[in-house]
Amino acid sequence: MVTAEHLNKTFGRFTAVKDATFSVDRGEIVGFLGPNGAGKTTTMKMLTGYLPPTAGTASIAGYDILDNPLEARRHLGYMPENVPLYDDMRVMEYLDYRARLKGICGKSVREQIAEVIDKCGLEPKRKNLIHTLSKGYRQRVGLADALLGNPDLLILDEPTNGLDPNQIRQIRELIRALAENHTVILSTHILSEVEMICNKVIIIDQGEIKAADTPENLTRGLRAAGRVSIEFKGDPERVVAELEAFAPVKKVILEEPIDGWNRLLVRAEPGTDTREKAAAIITELGFPMRHIYRHIPSLEDVFVEMTRRD
Amino acid sequence: MESENNTIMRTKSYFITLRTIYRRELKGYLGVPFGWVILACTMALQGFILQAVLQIMTHATGNGVMYHMLDNLNFWFYFIFIFPLITMRTLAEEERQGTLEGLLTAPVTTTQIVLGKYFAAYTFYLLLWLPMLLYPLVSDIGNYYTEVRYGIQPEGSITYMLADWVGPYTILALSGAFFVALGILCSAMSRSQIIAAILSTCLMIMYYFIGRVTELWGEFPAAPIFHYLSCTEQVKAFASGVVDTRPFVLYLSLTVFTLALTKRVVDYRRWTR
Repeated sequence: MVTAEHLNKTFGRFTAVKDATFSVDRGEIVGFLGPNGAGKTTTMKMLTGYLPPTAGTASIAGYDILDNPLEARRHLGYMPENVPLYDDMRVMEYLDYRARLKGICGKSVREQIAEVIDKCGLEPKRKNLIHTLSKGYRQRVGLADALLGNPDLLILDEPTNGLDPNQIRQIRELIRALAENHTVILSTHILSEVEMICNKVIIIDQGEIKAADTPENLTRGLRAAGRVSIEFKGDPERVVAELEAFAPVKKVILEEPIDGWNRLLVRAEPGTDTREKAAAIITELGFPMRHIYRHIPSLEDVFVEMTRRD
Repeated sequence: MESENNTIMRTKSYFITLRTIYRRELKGYLGVPFGWVILACTMALQGFILQAVLQIMTHATGNGVMYHMLDNLNFWFYFIFIFPLITMRTLAEEERQGTLEGLLTAPVTTTQIVLGKYFAAYTFYLLLWLPMLLYPLVSDIGNYYTEVRYGIQPEGSITYMLADWVGPYTILALSGAFFVALGILCSAMSRSQIIAAILSTCLMIMYYFIGRVTELWGEFPAAPIFHYLSCTEQVKAFASGVVDTRPFVLYLSLTVFTLALTKRVVDYRRWTR
């Protein structure tokens, strides 16, 4: 659906995106992750053809964004960051204008508008002036606009930015529903969101693509993956000594006790489970234990590990 | 045959999109108070000048009312400011709001955007001159009323003589075509309406002064260039009924050139952003 080849963008001496190569298949929901200023928006703007890349190119639905920009845009629905809209227009009027710009004409204008208004829950606000709308509704108007013309690919730049938790949930549901018929690329820095809806993650930092894979694959090989934390009473030295003798364990760290309970953090090889062995050791020694937990690596761990500056 | 059909279809859809932008832009003038305020102010100023012109016309000058309306320093005083006002929003506001991004990521070319905006602004500019066409009618009604009410036969009247009206309206349409394009170019160069307005006002005044160079310096070898460019002299000639073909060439070519430049500027600014 989308292939980007060696996309580069420099602004003067500043390199915003460096050699970005990736591809997105039909039907995928791809999340762009990265700290602020990492180059997410720049990359998206290049895909839409709004920002011409300094070097490299990309294609959408087989159409090159530089050689055939109009065809590429016809297959694309784009919702820019902060959703710029014409404030002095009414919602219906705006959607009508946008539909016609996208080459929809005749009867299908009305049908399509009715469809996107229904999908985005804009029915109660369809006759309102855009500048009277709340942020959540503006976001929906932007989304409705992107959906007009039923494009194969949706590019959404921070679709849930600035919304309250309820609105975020609604938009998320909406995006998930859209994924049935569309390929979606979205950017965000809310990691839980990506974990919930995306089936592919692209992590960008300082203009470079650090990783592009499914969330499961990304978390699998992580350092944090094998970590186990334990709380027990008794002599910590003996437990540590016994645990460190066990093969997959790399290091055992003794942490500050809480209410007289000793706390251990066991670092082990990724993908191993040392809980059973650890529990056996502690019970054999006859110590009481109240907590044993194996870290489930999250995207947050991936993100921190890949974008950390230290 | 099929490729021919395709070309026709493509041309058709090109103009449909152009019309969509044109309509939306024209609505931006007439659907909101903005345009009506400009129209009202222009009409008021035209009225003020008419008052002065009627005074002049009491001494039979042999020229029509439009000649005096245009060959008049007061005319230039407001004429120059019309263009920054009607064009400053066009592209600067799109850029400031960020809606240019939406436009340029829709299947629309930069040329369509520039042309759509240009034709809408130009149409609105032409509308500003329509109320003046009513002057003869209003003067007739006034005269009729005076006769009925006071029994006096008024001496003067404003007439619909083709020669009086075609020339002035032609030069207004011609020079306006270029000045509107110039205003849109200035609007494309900035994201601030104020800067766009200052820039275009400055350029208009400069262009106006170019036409008056010969008045200051007298005749010199390069003087014909300044005569050729002089909008004051053109207006004078056209207003007295002399329709010259040289300004057609001048203004139409300048308009096309300016619009082409505007398209370049819009595209260029995307590269640097």
